[in-house]
Amino acid sequence: MNRLPRGCINVGGSVAISMDRCRKVFMDLFAPFGYEPFWPSVLQLLESAWPHLPLPFRRRLIALNTPYGEPCCLKADLTLAAVAYFASHYAPGQQPLRLCYADRIFKRPERHENRIESFQIGAELLGWEGEGADIEILWLLLQWLDGIGLDQSVLVIGDVTFLQYALTNVKATVAERLSTYLQEGNLVAYEKALSTYDIPEYSYNILKHLPHLKGGEGILNRGDSLMGSSQHLAPLRKIFHTLDDLGYAERITLDLSLIRELHYYSGPVFHIYACPSGPLIGGGGRYDGLLAEYGLGGQAIGFAVDLEEIATLSHHFSTPRSAMIWSALLPPESALKRASAIFKRGIRGEISWNNNEKQSYDSAKERGYEWWINLATEEVTNLKTHKKTPLTLWKRGEIPCSQ
Amino acid sequence: MLTIALPTGRVMRNAIDFCEEMGLPVAKLRETGRQLVVQEGDFRYILSKPSDVPLYVSHGVANIALAGSDVLRECTVDYVELADTGRGQCRIVIAGPQKLRALFSGHPSELMWLKVATKYPHIADSYFSEMGVQVEIIHLHGSIELAPTLGMSDCILDIVQTGDTLKANKLVVLKEIAPVSLRLIASRQSVSLKWQQTMALLKTITRPKGETSYEH
Repeated sequence: MNRLPRGCINVGGSVAISMDRCRKVFMDLFAPFGYEPFWPSVLQLLESAWPHLPLPFRRRLIALNTPYGEPCCLKADLTLAAVAYFASHYAPGQQPLRLCYADRIFKRPERHENRIESFQIGAELLGWEGEGADIEILWLLLQWLDGIGLDQSVLVIGDVTFLQYALTNVKATVAERLSTYLQEGNLVAYEKALSTYDIPEYSYNILKHLPHLKGGEGILNRGDSLMGSSQHLAPLRKIFHTLDDLGYAERITLDLSLIRELHYYSGPVFHIYACPSGPLIGGGGRYDGLLAEYGLGGQAIGFAVDLEEIATLSHHFSTPRSAMIWSALLPPESALKRASAIFKRGIRGEISWNNNEKQSYDSAKERGYEWWINLATEEVTNLKTHKKTPLTLWKRGEIPCSQ
Repeated sequence: MLTIALPTGRVMRNAIDFCEEMGLPVAKLRETGRQLVVQEGDFRYILSKPSDVPLYVSHGVANIALAGSDVLRECTVDYVELADTGRGQCRIVIAGPQKLRALFSGHPSELMWLKVATKYPHIADSYFSEMGVQVEIIHLHGSIELAPTLGMSDCILDIVQTGDTLKANKLVVLKEIAPVSLRLIASRQSVSLKWQQTMALLKTITRPKGETSYEH
């Protein structure tokens, strides 16, 4: 039997093509802004990953030993790998560092899940100071989503420091319990805990309203009045206004009770939805605290998106194959040169080396191509209408390119 | 359009009554035959096996749902629990023959390698693991009470409402684990992106005495 280990996957066909195109759009967009590709090792030392991950996440690590006997885990989080790389390879003077990646991650599946591996694409901006970097990451992210056809995607943005301030005078065990309930989405238990435990009135008043602080800009004013100060939500307000100025106001929803699964976030955090009724495809946020755990100063922000999920939702997924080019029994060197000239015009396709013209033509139809090009006659056939057009016309741009 | 997943079977009537109290249109829902998707006005109902209801929510197919807390405890998918409706009340218990009473009132180590039949393997595993006790869990899908009677297991972990079925099979409650009731849950994206709509529904809930609901 030819099968993969349970929970693993080979990705090919239209999903793989779409993943690759989404990745290309991503790299083309981020690279000019100084984001360097990063290919982390598939293994992380357990001793390095363990202290930085919360218990529920640790339980999902897939542990193994290297042939050298070192206890490791398959990488479950790319941000950790990026920060560790940054800490060990760059001197303080070389900050900030911009990294982007598209790689597999591995986690033990929860019940009702099957997969142990998935694909993440993301970017990290490490070790910067001052304003602007939050916006840079969020703006590039939104640009990328637009670029792959997800122009209805929504960012839900919160700020974990708001909750931290609200819990300042609350007993540590109670604070932890309330945070856990919010993170687990157990609002019934959250409210019960609020009414059960002895919580200072100032904190109680904020915490009681916290899960309701979702929506537009008005939420920030509400948060300010509960806090009695506009200081705590100033970074979030700045992000909101700047994204508004950049034309993205309708794609932003605020949620002051938003908490991410990983506890290393320490400022604005966000979730990414493919559309207002679509699935959660990723998220990210500020993690200055994680940098500090590695003995590094400065600030850090990043995000990761499920590449496979996003590939199936992007417009690249439904892009048909464009052209099959029949070599027409020409010598290979001649056919390759002519085909190459066509490919350079942006058309995506393949060369058919079949000796039989009809078989090549039928194969192109069966495989879903839009165009079949005969290199000998230099004619292009539309496989839906069967209309023939001279290849020279395509050179004048009269044959639409379906890339 | 708001999509609501409802459990079929024992708690379906409770769920429909609750929807009616929330002010939702339920006339077609009460007359549904084998239909699994029912549309009434701006609402679409998905009727599903109780154990599958949370999955519809976590996959974002349903915006909100009603599900028993037993089912929610058993599954580990992602959702937001908004309210305890107080309906469909029963209990998760461990039950078995009278002779096992002494074991359950003694030291946990005496429970080691007990055979426990259940349709809630995750709850059973969590409960005994927390005590540091290893048991053999036999996963059944129905007629759990038969297992000790036929010698297949020592005891069972199941939900009990009146206790009549236990009595009929000469079983007694050995340990209460948790109360069960129908809960209102929502998907993460509905809570983040349709909060006002979700809250509008929540505010219409008429709560029987003693129940809790997440309300502003």
